[in-house]
Amino acid sequence: MRYALQRIGQLLVVFVVVTFAVLVAMRLGAGGHRELARRMLGGNVTDQQVDEAVRRYHLDSNYLVQYLYWLKGFVTFDLGYSSANSMSVAKLLAPRFWTTALLGIYAIAVGLLLAVPAAVIQAHRRDSWIDRLGNVASFIGFGVPAIVLGIFLQLAFSLHWHLFPAIGDSIYPWQQFGAHVRNFLLPTLTLAIPQAAIYTRLLRADMVATLQRDFVVLASAKGMPTRRILWRHALRNSLLSIVTSVGTSLGGLLGGAVVVETLFDLDGIGSQMVISVLSRDLFTVQACVAFVVFIVVVVNLVVDLSYSLIDPRVRMARALA
Amino acid sequence: MTRPRPLQTAGRPAEGPLIELTDVRTHFATERGLVRAVDGVTLTIQRGRAVGLVGESGSGKTVLSRSIMGLLPRRGVVRSGSIRFEGTELIDAPRSTLRSLWGREMAMVFQDPMTSLNPLMRVGEQIAEPLRIHLGQSRAEARDTTIRLLTEVRIPSPAERLRQYPYELSGGMRQRVMIAIALACGPTALLADEPTTALDVTVQAQILALLSEERRERNMTLVLVTHDLGVVARHTDEVAVMYGGKVVERAPTAALFRRTRMPYTEALMRSIPTVDDPPHTRLAAIPGRPPDLVEPPPGCRFAARCAYARERCHAEEPSLVASSDDPDHHYACWYPVGTVEPVALRPADPAAVG
Repeated sequence: MRYALQRIGQLLVVFVVVTFAVLVAMRLGAGGHRELARRMLGGNVTDQQVDEAVRRYHLDSNYLVQYLYWLKGFVTFDLGYSSANSMSVAKLLAPRFWTTALLGIYAIAVGLLLAVPAAVIQAHRRDSWIDRLGNVASFIGFGVPAIVLGIFLQLAFSLHWHLFPAIGDSIYPWQQFGAHVRNFLLPTLTLAIPQAAIYTRLLRADMVATLQRDFVVLASAKGMPTRRILWRHALRNSLLSIVTSVGTSLGGLLGGAVVVETLFDLDGIGSQMVISVLSRDLFTVQACVAFVVFIVVVVNLVVDLSYSLIDPRVRMARALA
Repeated sequence: MTRPRPLQTAGRPAEGPLIELTDVRTHFATERGLVRAVDGVTLTIQRGRAVGLVGESGSGKTVLSRSIMGLLPRRGVVRSGSIRFEGTELIDAPRSTLRSLWGREMAMVFQDPMTSLNPLMRVGEQIAEPLRIHLGQSRAEARDTTIRLLTEVRIPSPAERLRQYPYELSGGMRQRVMIAIALACGPTALLADEPTTALDVTVQAQILALLSEERRERNMTLVLVTHDLGVVARHTDEVAVMYGGKVVERAPTAALFRRTRMPYTEALMRSIPTVDDPPHTRLAAIPGRPPDLVEPPPGCRFAARCAYARERCHAEEPSLVASSDDPDHHYACWYPVGTVEPVALRPADPAAVG
């Protein structure tokens, strides 16, 4: 428990440092604070409106004060005003946040669902044709860029077989479940296949090593069925790399989300961030970055805490630390 | 401490051969060639007896015990000969036949208790697993049996141990857990592969005493693999001494020590320090190294290191024959101990290196 609190503290520091750096970077090149306010509001604005913005966002104070006011806004979901969209950032991003978050969760889940059985079977039947096939498949999955894979899936499943829409609609599961699955399946696969390839290779290597350990031989000598040896004894002892990689691959996953959201025309944080950067929509960019950092931090916290769920020795060491 | 009765001993014949090995060979394919780890072993193990397999590292004793179990790598192994367990042929037997014996009929205790238990599974579950799967016990029954087994192997406060993980136990405790796992389903034969090598000396004696006691009470057959002749003397009825993948001397334990025939066995015995030796006595090491098992030398495999070796020993291989004065005592030697004068071998003589 103490360990969890420590980790949360560390990750909060990460969040603050990154969002502060982005705030400074975005506001640095604007000249004076009135110029900055004008840019934030966008378009033609009156001097009165500029004065109001300066007062409201404390633009005449130093960056630290500005940041603290922004942080206060962030925790109360007051994320500022999107000049490009003429609406509040919170309203603009709320649905987009769900699109990206769901895509990320699906990609990791589907990636694991594909990778774990494949890796276990490959390790069990090492050097057989099925292992070789798996190695080739994961090599291809790992090597093909998301944009090529996405277009390929569109060509095959949308244009050729007309199974799924090529241009998606951000429909959420709580709205219409069937339509949600149809719209999210191809984008999810585009993100999940490269993930599955990485996970498979890592887990296969760990499983091969674990299957040679003494306790696995002992499980055989006890007469345990192969299935139990693989799934109950060996798998849990092989999870370290794959769990770590779920955390570290998230950055790449969110990068991939930019491509995938654009390609399938889903309104998400990733595609919005690109648009907002190009239109110098300061508040929106700031909020998008904050969300991305937030997701990365939360997933890494979960990854970190799951080590002690897997291994009692980690639990013990952390309790003593 | 009162000890519960062993779980299963009834309904078994008390005597007769249990494991019959005929010309057993286990060779491993390597880049250098075929390693003849076990190279023609014929041996019968009687029911209810304790048999020692003795030899130095690389003599083939561990590979032989794993061959009996059938616990060999799936690939790169060439096997021949015959291994019969209660009449069932095990060489070339399908994996399913072996699996039906493992845990139920034959169980194994490994050398290193630090690596042989699953680090992420509670001790209780590791013992209960075979009970649930082989004996079909319910969760509650398996729990009771597990506590009984832990009591039997003298683990204090067994009910609390169930929920512990291996890392929470000492080496000796872990080896007791290993023995409890091996005993769980009341096997006919227990193969212990250097069960005490990784343990402290004081704990070694306790573990061996426990194994001997269990064997007697359960009328179980024990195959004890060890490099330690002292252990053999105290805990076995019969001994097979192995060298270079072969059995070079086989005898009832008392006879082996009373009248050692094979010079290798004699050299092994000499290399044990005794308390009567004055301080700083140089240990009597056997010069040279074990033979190359890819291209074994012609003749006796021990000849290069043997103090009694003559020309014939380097040219012709002696076979395992019964002693003229004791039909139970077999040895493979042209000039057994006491028949010719030893030749002094310098310990560092490069010519002595096989």
